[in-house]
Amino acid sequence: MPKTVQADYRSTVRKPNDFDAFWQDVLRQAAAIPLQAAVLPDPSRSSDDIEVFEVFYTSLDHVRIACWYCRPTRRAERSPAIMFLPGYQMDPPIPKEWARKGYVALSVAPRGKLRSNRQFNPGYPNLLTHNIVDRHTYAYRGFYVDAWRGIDFLLSRPEVDGARIGVAGSSQGGGLVVTAAAMRPEVRAAAAGVPYLCGFMDAIELTHTYPYEEINDYLRLHPERRTEVEDTLAYFDGINFADRITCPIVVNIGLQDNVCPPETGYALFDRIGSRDKQLFPYDGHGHDGGRSRHGAIMDRFFAQHLRGER
Amino acid sequence: MSLMPPEVHAYWRETLDELARYPARPELEAIPLRSTAFATLYGVRLTSIGPYRLFGYLSIPSGAGPFPAIYYAPKYQSVLEIIPQGTANLQRSRYVVFSLAGRGQRNADSPYAAMFPGLLTDGIHDAATYVFRSIVADSVRGLEFLSSRREVDSARVVVVGNDLALITAALGSGATHAVAAPGLFYQTAELAARTSTYPLEEINDYLRTFPARAEAVRRTLAYYDLRAFAPRVSARTLLMAGAPGSLLDAQALKPLVDAMPGGATVHESEQSTYRDGLYSERWIAAQCGITDVQSILPEHWRD
Repeated sequence: MPKTVQADYRSTVRKPNDFDAFWQDVLRQAAAIPLQAAVLPDPSRSSDDIEVFEVFYTSLDHVRIACWYCRPTRRAERSPAIMFLPGYQMDPPIPKEWARKGYVALSVAPRGKLRSNRQFNPGYPNLLTHNIVDRHTYAYRGFYVDAWRGIDFLLSRPEVDGARIGVAGSSQGGGLVVTAAAMRPEVRAAAAGVPYLCGFMDAIELTHTYPYEEINDYLRLHPERRTEVEDTLAYFDGINFADRITCPIVVNIGLQDNVCPPETGYALFDRIGSRDKQLFPYDGHGHDGGRSRHGAIMDRFFAQHLRGER
Repeated sequence: MSLMPPEVHAYWRETLDELARYPARPELEAIPLRSTAFATLYGVRLTSIGPYRLFGYLSIPSGAGPFPAIYYAPKYQSVLEIIPQGTANLQRSRYVVFSLAGRGQRNADSPYAAMFPGLLTDGIHDAATYVFRSIVADSVRGLEFLSSRREVDSARVVVVGNDLALITAALGSGATHAVAAPGLFYQTAELAARTSTYPLEEINDYLRTFPARAEAVRRTLAYYDLRAFAPRVSARTLLMAGAPGSLLDAQALKPLVDAMPGGATVHESEQSTYRDGLYSERWIAAQCGITDVQSILPEHWRD
């Protein structure tokens, strides 16, 4: 059997003194850019029970972001909504399953993803280290904002109840859930699976698998840039966002996760500010994070917090 | 291919003949950023039918070969990985590894950029224009390229992937082993009708939009059904089945296994990427005579 995971693992990441100021400045820049949302019906993907749309909006640096948007055909005048955020290599899915559960659902393709890569396309591998020595141009500066802007889109929709918005995702999606819940007070419930982008510098010691291995590759070629890399990543580390989270949140991790080390999941959970937080560690599971067992827990969690079910 | 249904045989014979008319003309370029003390990585460009220029990553272990080889056939996603996410980078110290982007995937997306979802039904109304005819040829070309490398031990070449792994092992030459997780081309039309999950939902979307093409779609898919390829598979095979009760569980795959002359080892998913992944890694290592598989497993999987 694999070794026991250290549940009291402590991350080495430190929060920069100007962390909040940095992100306030980014948000200020983003706020100056109109959303310019376009909502285009996609009849070829729609069915009797689900309407599917392609959505586009403008984000930081005026990059145009694509999304899939689904809504149940039969729904209340104002429905709860879920924003789904994608994994690192995943092609953002059409979120029909969420719509079938009664939610209006938005699946965001942040910059560089398929359909959002016309203006920005560092590729895979490469995204993780693109401009990694400069926090002002690092790939995830815009990428994070692209995800957060999905909330603005949902708030702009008449069919969405702005007081009942949840965010969900796994792996990179889990990391994005953490930052979205931290930076957008409109998020009322969050489910972060096997979160990536948390404890970057810990992860590259704990595991030697891609995508984190991209950082090891970079540092092997440019060892003299280690300090700059650490400095940049501290601004993007989900662990440093976590104390800002106040909404109910569930986090699931796999104790044999070979992509996002479970130690970093524990470290993240420890730092989450919300009083309503629950961690589900799944022994015998890897990067799936116990999905087969955890799915029902997530469904109940969102039903409780977004639909008022007990 | 004589064991195939005649019309399927003819379709693929023509495809492979067309492929043979285009030399691969590979170009290799070292990628220092992804090279380590234990392996050198190359970007590879090579030609397939069309003609179309493809891209792949070739990793060669340091030291004297020949080495066993793993061929990661084109996946159903836009991203091309050097090795699959979550695989220990040290895998590259023991195997020659080649991963190929079929046309439409990143790095092989000019002039044709595939959409996901979308690829599965692109041209599906006509077997002659169906995009997967070319993608299968791409995958066979990748196996040809890998098998031609002097660093590769020709007695230990494992093709890994989805349905394409099995199809490639059947149509191409050089695969001694295959690890396949069917998901696209096994009883596709029938199974699509029983699910609303992508990628098979693409078939449902297509037939909802073009109901008059249902028969044409069924005809095209018949050329791709794994049962047609099964009699041609001589590679020792591990089939990664879905969890019990799922669409592609071991019971559902039984006709496929029965049609393979040498049968197959079937691993039914335990719904854990750890347990399923560990089974597959150990199977490949055992088949390749690698006795210390622990040393090339991800850290969190090691004893």
